[in-house]
Amino acid sequence: MSGPSRNPRRNLSRALSRIANADVTDTLAQQSVLPTENLPRIGITGAPGAGKSSLIARLAKLRKNADRKVAVLAVDPSSPVSQGSILGDRIRMDAIADDPDIFIRSIPSRRAHDGLADNTADLLNAMEGHGFGEIILETVGVGQAEYTIRTLVDTVVLILVPHSGDAIQAMKAGILEMADIYVVNKADLPGADLMAAEIEQVADHQSADGWTPPVIMTTRDDPAGFAALDDAINAHAAWRADHRDVTAARRARARYQTQGLISRRIDEILEAAGEDFLDQDPGALFDAIVSRLGR
Amino acid sequence: MSLNGKRILIAKPGLDGHDVGAKIIALALRDAGADVIYTGLRRSPDYIARVAVDEDVDAVGLSILSGSHKELVEETVRCLAELDAGDIHLFVGGTIPGEDHDELRNAGARGIFTAEMTIDDVVAAIEADLGT
Repeated sequence: MSGPSRNPRRNLSRALSRIANADVTDTLAQQSVLPTENLPRIGITGAPGAGKSSLIARLAKLRKNADRKVAVLAVDPSSPVSQGSILGDRIRMDAIADDPDIFIRSIPSRRAHDGLADNTADLLNAMEGHGFGEIILETVGVGQAEYTIRTLVDTVVLILVPHSGDAIQAMKAGILEMADIYVVNKADLPGADLMAAEIEQVADHQSADGWTPPVIMTTRDDPAGFAALDDAINAHAAWRADHRDVTAARRARARYQTQGLISRRIDEILEAAGEDFLDQDPGALFDAIVSRLGR
Repeated sequence: MSLNGKRILIAKPGLDGHDVGAKIIALALRDAGADVIYTGLRRSPDYIARVAVDEDVDAVGLSILSGSHKELVEETVRCLAELDAGDIHLFVGGTIPGEDHDELRNAGARGIFTAEMTIDDVVAAIEADLGT
């Protein structure tokens, strides 16, 4: 099917496909027509099984209203073998899947290994101008997602579960320094209070810039926890409005986006060149790749 | 052939609660390179059509074991057309007697898959249809 649809929702979803499938050259060409960033963006990250999708369903339902439609972009991992994927986040968002004020789009991670997907920055930009009031971005939950999502969203929410060893692992990796809000999910499990206390200690040291990340406990059957998360996101947005370093944020996004494009261009070069291109020492290979870089 | 870059929605309309087959097909399509979305059980044709639009899929595969395949296929075709998405390809799989196949094809099903077929045959038929 060609030409615009009479169904605006279809036009948006096809635009997202075009962006998700674009190679580097097309991505660069499309960027000139994308609108600028305006919508608040909330990033939800955490290990697989932490309950990201289910929590997003609860959160989106709380945050959407007649004036604020919510868009959810959910990244799922692509198989390194077949490049295919099972985009399973939507099924966990059952409770909101039928809500016309919420738009959910699943995206495969493709080549990206940072917990996001190829062209995530462009996909986020493409959500502008379609009547949404806010975007929620869900990461794959592996790799260095906590670092990269930081550059693309305004508020980072890290979800942990009790007794997963998460807290210590997260401290080791420095991930606990990256979030604006911590959630201890499945807080009816034993060990939740201890974990929350540990994270609070870390969070207290994290308030150098004036924002002390709150630690919120959520349980499936307790609406109060989700309401507290909703409030915390609003509080962070308000704080950010006064304290955000706009220039630094813009530079970080430019750097992330450009590095991603160059990395993918190198993939494209290697795929086009064939296996025997790799039969040279790293220095010569490096020079050969650099000489082929460019639009 | 490969289904790389193709997006496929596997959907369970109607009241039967058995989705082992749907999940096996979903995995096989993933292994063939497709990006697969699964709706979960007991979805209405209207809901399935809206997910197909929002996810911009190339094809919808309906898994139906309840015997209501004629009604559910017709209704899904109607809902897709209503959303200006009649170009999305539709397949149906499940317990579907041979005498109903022509009617389902006429209603818009581009492939009908039954338990007699191997998974490989199903994947190959979808690959051939989606033209990659």
